[in-house]
Amino acid sequence: MSKSNIDIRGWGAVTTLGWSAKESANNLISGNVRPADFCKSSHLTNRELKAFEVSYAGNPLDKSRAMLDSALTEAFSRAGLTASEIAESCLLVGTTGGLFIRNEYEFTEIVRQNPGKESPPIACRNRGPGEVADTIATKYGINGMIMTFSMACVSSSHALVVAAQLLEQKKIRRAIVVGFDPLLNLTLQGFASLLLYDDEKCRPFCNTRSGMQIGEAAAAVILERNDSDNKRRGAYRFEGGYLFNDNKNLTSAGVDGELAGNVIGQTLTRAGVAPRDVVAIKAHGTGTRDNDLSEGRGLTKVFGDNLPPVISLKGAIGHALGAAGAVETALWLSCLEEGMLPKSFGFTQIDPELGFAPSEINIPAPDGAYLFTFFGFGGTCTSYLIIKE
Amino acid sequence: MINRIMTNKIIQSSMPVVAASYLGPALAPNQDATWDEAQLPLNPDEMVLKIMGQPLRRAGRFIKLVCCGALTCLKSVPPEELKDKKIGIFLATGLGNVDEILPFITQVFKHEGGFPSPNQFANSVSNAAAFFLAKVSDVKGVVLTVSQEELSFESALWLAQSYLESGEIDLALVGGCDVFTPTVTDYRDRMDLRPDNHRSMPMGEGSSWLLLGNTNGKKIGNVLSVELDYNAKTQHQLSAKVNILSECEKTADNLKWRHDQQKILLPGFRLTDIDQSFFEESGWMVEDYLPHCGIHPTASAYGLARAFLCCPSAFLLHCNYHAAGRRALVAATTI
Repeated sequence: MSKSNIDIRGWGAVTTLGWSAKESANNLISGNVRPADFCKSSHLTNRELKAFEVSYAGNPLDKSRAMLDSALTEAFSRAGLTASEIAESCLLVGTTGGLFIRNEYEFTEIVRQNPGKESPPIACRNRGPGEVADTIATKYGINGMIMTFSMACVSSSHALVVAAQLLEQKKIRRAIVVGFDPLLNLTLQGFASLLLYDDEKCRPFCNTRSGMQIGEAAAAVILERNDSDNKRRGAYRFEGGYLFNDNKNLTSAGVDGELAGNVIGQTLTRAGVAPRDVVAIKAHGTGTRDNDLSEGRGLTKVFGDNLPPVISLKGAIGHALGAAGAVETALWLSCLEEGMLPKSFGFTQIDPELGFAPSEINIPAPDGAYLFTFFGFGGTCTSYLIIKE
Repeated sequence: MINRIMTNKIIQSSMPVVAASYLGPALAPNQDATWDEAQLPLNPDEMVLKIMGQPLRRAGRFIKLVCCGALTCLKSVPPEELKDKKIGIFLATGLGNVDEILPFITQVFKHEGGFPSPNQFANSVSNAAAFFLAKVSDVKGVVLTVSQEELSFESALWLAQSYLESGEIDLALVGGCDVFTPTVTDYRDRMDLRPDNHRSMPMGEGSSWLLLGNTNGKKIGNVLSVELDYNAKTQHQLSAKVNILSECEKTADNLKWRHDQQKILLPGFRLTDIDQSFFEESGWMVEDYLPHCGIHPTASAYGLARAFLCCPSAFLLHCNYHAAGRRALVAATTI
């Protein structure tokens, strides 16, 4: 196994399971998981779509900011970053909706405050996906390079891989990688219009699966180049990052599993890790027919009969879209800290086209290589390993 | 002095520029053309037919402009020079496909949770344009959509250089695209333009591209350095930075320009405090390209691509300021 010099120095997350990665992991491991439900937030117009909604007493715009603050504060605290270290860091953000929530919130407020009047046209005052990074950098005094990736469901997983590459190349010293996506009418109704939404339940890799469910979340993962031969910061290394864009299909990674298998194979090759050395897989596992077929078949092409435990987190927290990479990484790391891998929620029945069941019980988390996979709209694929030492 | 600027903030080796293209609101590739802000947006379908040879029926304006701009750039290179090359796409955009998002979200609110068009939603997803471009140019592998408001293009350029240096790709197709969406007032608000800051300048749109890397063919210039987070907040500090670059002329091969080259300052956004006479007295020509393309977040792509095509034998220095005070600096030479 080759050794990268990229340490994971800290992380934090807000999910529907808690306002920290630690709280979220504890709830996940203890099975304290609420299913997706009809949403309560004032800006959401369709009350018939279930989603994983973070509880908050205030308005959705304030909630978004609070989620970002909470995730970053937890990550900075866990990493023990000083103010000057934060200032010199680079910031890479992955998001799809960004702060578009401001438009939705303000519009619904105007309508609510003017009952009986004709609705005005919705304005679009946000300044694009880059506004999230700009807001964070301004608030925390981050002076290093800032950059935003807006690439649908692989936005923040791509950001992690790009950050790792820049660290390996010594272009940057430290990267704060943020994933953020709040619940939006835009995405909720968009995926519903594509008939990719499961009204009942998110069931990754299950034969009864019929679609995804969205969950809002925010997370931060701090990667740092370690130039010391023997002094590592923390117990986790980032390895084998690989991103790939296919151009065959806008909405599918190809159900034959070839593309997914190739991407995973590239990751293992780059990291010098044999399939037998992977101790568990954090799968993308959206619960849609096509994604789980693509991914599941890709996994069996690489691992054959020796498939390690496969776990999708989306049955428990939903699909955080562009935030999924950072969120699922942070949540997984906190599970590793607790010494347990959670079961894969939402599964009941093996899909004969896949021929395997994801992990149905919590299992101890040993040291070793953990594989992460993400697949997204536009033929995008990300894969990487986290090594627990 | 060299060590001071050879930090991780800037690229460390020059990037050959193989080709460039620029497309502004008049929708005439590689031509300066006048346009009337009140007439925006012009219909791009004729241009799509001309450049792509077929209509892009289901695609929105952003996707059309991305593909037309990038293909204009790619098609200016003999195909044999691109054969067997691993090309990476780096699409920069400040506002993205807001032209698709707005009608979709309008439908959502109009019908209060109705059933909006799935095709419109698919096209509104942030990386749909990069996918379409990858498909029409048959590129697989590294395809990234980068956004950082007014510094989106410089960010993509910096990232492209990192990928070229890493050997992951042979060539980088780097472009910036933003599209106009009515109304003018809304667009100005989105760009955070205040009365003292280009508020009165015409709004625009564009899709402008550079092809970077090594081929066996001729090149049109070099990008020498890209600095994303330099801290020059005043005229004095910017002048000092220019002096540092001048010092590099004497000592660093990769930041060299010849004395017979014209020195051209390309001011991007928010350089109202620039003392033009200072640069002119120091031998610089100041070329404000914004009147040619109108205000849009990735106008810097237009300014640089246009300079690569229209300003031979020049040393280019592009300065751009972001609303929150961040700066980007690009140094380049043309042949």
